[in-house]
Order: sequence, then structure tokens, then C-alpha cells
Amino acid sequence: MSTLDKEKSLAALRQMMVIRDFEETADKLCLRGKVPGGMHNSSGQEAAAVGVMSALAPDDVIATTHRSHHHTLAKGFTPKSVMAELFAKSTGVSGGRGGSMHLAGVERGHFGGNGIVGAGVGIAMGAALGIQVLKDKKVSVGFVGDGGMNTGRTWEAINMAVIYKLPFIIICDNNQYAVETFVGRVTGGGDLAKRASGFGLPSFNINGQDVEEVYKYTAEARERALAGEGPTFINAVTYRYYGHNVGEKGQYRTQEEIAEWRTSKDPIDYFTGVVLERKFATQQEIDDMRASVRTEIDEAVAFAESSPEPAISTITQGVDSGKLGIQL
Amino acid sequence: MEEIFVPALGMAMDSVVLLEWTKQPGDQVNAGESIAVIETDKTTLDLTAETSGVLGKHRYQVNDEVPAGNTIAVVLAPGEVE
Repeated sequence: MSTLDKEKSLAALRQMMVIRDFEETADKLCLRGKVPGGMHNSSGQEAAAVGVMSALAPDDVIATTHRSHHHTLAKGFTPKSVMAELFAKSTGVSGGRGGSMHLAGVERGHFGGNGIVGAGVGIAMGAALGIQVLKDKKVSVGFVGDGGMNTGRTWEAINMAVIYKLPFIIICDNNQYAVETFVGRVTGGGDLAKRASGFGLPSFNINGQDVEEVYKYTAEARERALAGEGPTFINAVTYRYYGHNVGEKGQYRTQEEIAEWRTSKDPIDYFTGVVLERKFATQQEIDDMRASVRTEIDEAVAFAESSPEPAISTITQGVDSGKLGIQL
Repeated sequence: MEEIFVPALGMAMDSVVLLEWTKQPGDQVNAGESIAVIETDKTTLDLTAETSGVLGKHRYQVNDEVPAGNTIAVVLAPGEVE
């Protein structure tokens, strides 16, 4: 369980490339005004998302944060359907109603991104409680950023998961900056896993730039959860290459710091090296993979551009259970 | 050819006002230099070139309202024409 086999390694590498290309492309389109409401770019954070999803079963549940493109793509939603949602088109994962921050697909175990810091943990904890009540054989994963680590609801949810021994995994998608605030400046005690362990659950600080390490810790957490041993907290330390939101004029970190993470700790570069070293692929095959990803993202943009907007006649759909008969 | 465009920065930024052209058509432009100054609903800012070259024609006039995302001019590399 500690390493990814050839098939999973190549799938993970390609998925990370998809996320990177998607985000770099969407960022430019957002600056051109194509993404209503703006977006949060997850470039640099690919391994923490793909590593987690590599360890999950398709019907395991996730709930995520305002920065959720990488989680959604890694969960198996197509670049076409995610790009269309960013464009607020009817073919998007949320029918064009959610946009970048509310990507969801409940029937496929994606309980959504949202704009409330720390809320993904509470939503996913509720799903974990449901799984336990229904005696399902699956787990729920709640993503939270480092900014949500000082939020009360996060720890309320974790405490409840511990006392009920819920099949739950908390992933701190720790990109080290809560908008402009460096995590090291605002973390009492200085160690998030140590803080979490005070709530009585296995807690780990891990390298979020190593997809295999993230996979390994998540897979072990999933086994414990399925065995009835309760939740696990994983602090996956990663880094975002762009601003908090697209177009941000960031003055709170140096270009040297960004360059250092990009050049020496990049999750795609690192894992490409691993794949080559294990002879899972040749350089030519890696190049071909990257080219096929480029084509796929181009097709996603064309699909989003050409898709229709939601019909005005459907505007009341989705605001209630559908049983109230609200009409325009 | 680099397109100099008005970036959509805010959550609901629709358009900006072009306050000033800092480069004229045919001017040499160096990477990082300001091309124009725009005013959004919150601030004024410089639109800068990422590449060096020669500025093409002004596609808007001073005081024009420019929709976010629209190109206001291009920077041409040697041999390129607009």
C-alpha cells in the first residue's frame, strides 16, 4: 500500500498534469472575464488532491473548500464539465448554477465546494455520520485549508467524529497562506498535527508535494476508518503558485519564495522523475501524455465556450426540494 | 504578438475607464513597461507589457469605457504586423 503501482502512478501523473493545465488555462480566461465571479487557482497543489483521490473508492464522499478545481478534477469529473461550470454554462457539473466555488456532484460523492472557511469539514463529517448510520462501506473526506485551522467549526466537527468514531478523514490542504496570512504566524503551538492529536485521533504532518506520500497516509486512514477505528487528521503541506484569487496583486511573499517552490518542490516534476526512475514510462511517453492533456484542455475550453447558458425557464429549479411547486 | 488587455480583477468588474496612454503607436516597449493607465471601480492601475516590441495602434481613446477582458493594444515582435 505504500507505493503506487504502474497503472496508478501513470494515472496520478496524468491527473496532476490535467489539473495544472486546466488551472493555468482557466486563470488566463478568468482575467479575460470569462469566469463570472472569479476563481481560486490551485496550481502547485496537485499532489495533495490526486494523492487523496488515488486512495479513495469512486463512491467515497468528499466535501471541499473555495479552492476546489483540483479536488473536483481528481475526483473524476471531466475537464469539460468543470470548465463549463466555471463559464456558468448548463453543461457544467452544477448546471451552471454554482460556478468555480460551488462545484458539486452529490450522486457521485462530491458534496461540493463552498465559500465558508472550514465548512467542508462539517459537511463531510455529516456525510460520515450518515455512512455510519446506514452502515455503508465507504468513507468521507473533508478538505480544509490552513486558514480553516483556526476556525471553531472545524474542531467541533473533528471532535464529534472522534467521539462517534466516524469513517472520516480530514485533509488540511495546507498551501501555507490564508489569503495573505502565513500559517506560521497564526498557528498557536506551531504544529497542526500536534494540535489535532489533542482531539484524540491519529494526526500527521506530511509532504503534500509527494503524491505517493499523500496516497499512503490517506489509504491507511481509509483502512482504519473502514475498520471502525474512527477518523484521521492529515496536514498535507503544499504551496499555491498564484494569488489567493485570480488577478490578486500579491505583496505578502517574495518572488524568490514562489520560484523556490516551483523549481525545487514541484509535485509534477518530482513525480515525473519517480515514474522515469521506476521505468513506468519513457520520456517520450511522458511528452505524449503532456500533449494529450493539452488537447483535452483545449477541447474543454471549446466545449465550455460553445455550451448554452441555463434556460431562464429553469431558474426556480434547485432552490427547494422540487415538491413546493414554486413557479415564476 | 502580445495582447494588452483589461484584466477582470474583481468579482463583478464589468468595465474600466482608460485614463491615459503611456505609450504611443510605433513606440518601442520594453517588458515590464506601462502601456496605459486604467481606472477600475476601486483603484487606478498600469497595464504593462510582458514582452518587448513595438506598440500597435490604440484601439480605444482616453476616457473610453473598456469592457473587462477586452484588448486595448498589441505589442508586436520584430517582423509582426497588426
